[in-house]
Amino acid sequence: MTSRLMTMPVSASKRSETIADAQKRTERREGLYILGMQLLALGVFFALWELTSQMRWIDPLFIGAPSKIFTFLVNAVTTDHTLFIETGWTLWATFVAFALGSAAGIACGLLFVVYPPVERFFEPMFSALNALPRIALAPLFILWFGLGVTSKVALGFSLTFFIVLNSTVAGARSVDSDWLVLSRMLGANRATMFFKVTLVSAVPTIFSGLRLGLIYALLGVVGGEIIASQHGLGQMLQYLAGTFDTNGVFAVLIVLALLGVGITKLMSMLELYLLRWK
Amino acid sequence: MNSTSQAQPMIDISRVNHVFPGGIHAVMDANLTIEEGSFIAIVGPSGCGKTTLLNLLAGLIPLHDGKILVNGTAPKAGRHDVAYMLARDCLFPWRTALSNVMLGGEFRGVPSDETRQRALALLNQVGLKGFSEHYPKALSHGMRQRVALARTFSLKSPVLLMDEPFGALDAQTKVQLQSVLLELHGSERRTVVFITHDLSEAVTLADRVIVMSPRPGRIIADISIPLPRPRSAKSLQKDPEFHRLYAELWGWLEQAMEEAA
Repeated sequence: MTSRLMTMPVSASKRSETIADAQKRTERREGLYILGMQLLALGVFFALWELTSQMRWIDPLFIGAPSKIFTFLVNAVTTDHTLFIETGWTLWATFVAFALGSAAGIACGLLFVVYPPVERFFEPMFSALNALPRIALAPLFILWFGLGVTSKVALGFSLTFFIVLNSTVAGARSVDSDWLVLSRMLGANRATMFFKVTLVSAVPTIFSGLRLGLIYALLGVVGGEIIASQHGLGQMLQYLAGTFDTNGVFAVLIVLALLGVGITKLMSMLELYLLRWK
Repeated sequence: MNSTSQAQPMIDISRVNHVFPGGIHAVMDANLTIEEGSFIAIVGPSGCGKTTLLNLLAGLIPLHDGKILVNGTAPKAGRHDVAYMLARDCLFPWRTALSNVMLGGEFRGVPSDETRQRALALLNQVGLKGFSEHYPKALSHGMRQRVALARTFSLKSPVLLMDEPFGALDAQTKVQLQSVLLELHGSERRTVVFITHDLSEAVTLADRVIVMSPRPGRIIADISIPLPRPRSAKSLQKDPEFHRLYAELWGWLEQAMEEAA
């Protein structure tokens, strides 16, 4: 009986693999087609932009020109390394803000889940802080921590913390009650149930918070740099805008967009690996 | 009645009543003695208190009225001599099939080598050799339930409490899993309390079938199933005695439903 039962899933598994392969091939073809169309649309957009600037249909002071933006970027890479240095400052501050904010958010979220009275105590204060537009705290952080990287980290932290906190609480509270019953019947104690069931089952939701938290850490850091800073892409952006270097502004914006996409992609890859069971 | 009649009672239920907050009387005056190594199926209409009775045995619901002894002591959730299987497979999606089967041993502090060897042997026994490293998402519904069955048997608990474990499966998969369960029960004789609403399943698997009335659930019949073991879930379908027992059970249920109406 056992051997007969074993052959059925194997053949079913082979069939599903073939179907999955065909689906993957179709998806790959579709992906390449969409990428081609995206590149084409981008090319047309830049061509129209360049033409508008060259023909002076709109003053280049306001819109710059793709060719000049490209030249700015090439110079920044080959001769003047300011863009690299400032990117480094922004990335460093973002990383520290994200690491501290998410660690504190996860720790605090877990504390809330384990001890609900603690959550009830902090709830009004945290709700008020979370509702406050965080950028409004920037002047205070600059006053406290100065123009250096610390004030930017503080701003990034204040954004990341609440996002990760909320996702941790939501994830840990949504644990399947049947999993807990089963674990209890299997002999798990409270600590084991918390760490091996509740916490692990919350990881996908926490990850969604982390991904969002990372983007918001970047937003907080760049926002802080724009307001007042010695370093960073935000400070560079502010300087270039102040000197009417529109091409430079667009170049920094492109770098910021690429940074945003890059870190989101990195998180997605990490999520794909860590949550490969999903 | 059967070969287990001489054995010691493993489960003793006497004068058990259970009323849920809100006044719902789920179980009324239940009395039942279950011998060691016997397979008991409990059948009855939906909402008749079958699962409540099982949860009282498991210690998942506190007992307020009456007395229950499981292996000589009062029920308590998480004790090592009782294993529990739910209607859903409840596999942890982040664990492989093997790792899910090893869960009980891991929680109970059994050395991992021993747990692993036993888990692999059980996966083989339930027909999942070669699937040990698959995550639940890659397994069919029936395969997942096989993993859950292996997980339940991985613990060497003498008492198994099973709450409609095959209730959500299609007919063919259900018969396959009944065969696997019969095989496992044959090789490792445990005391099994099996909740089902499927009379055919009850006759196929059990030594005794307990019939409960609609709410408030009372035990209205205790029917012995003298079909010889080892049994085959498939061949029993052609056995006239099987059909006679099925009809007898059905008669009891019909009578209970009529009385309730």
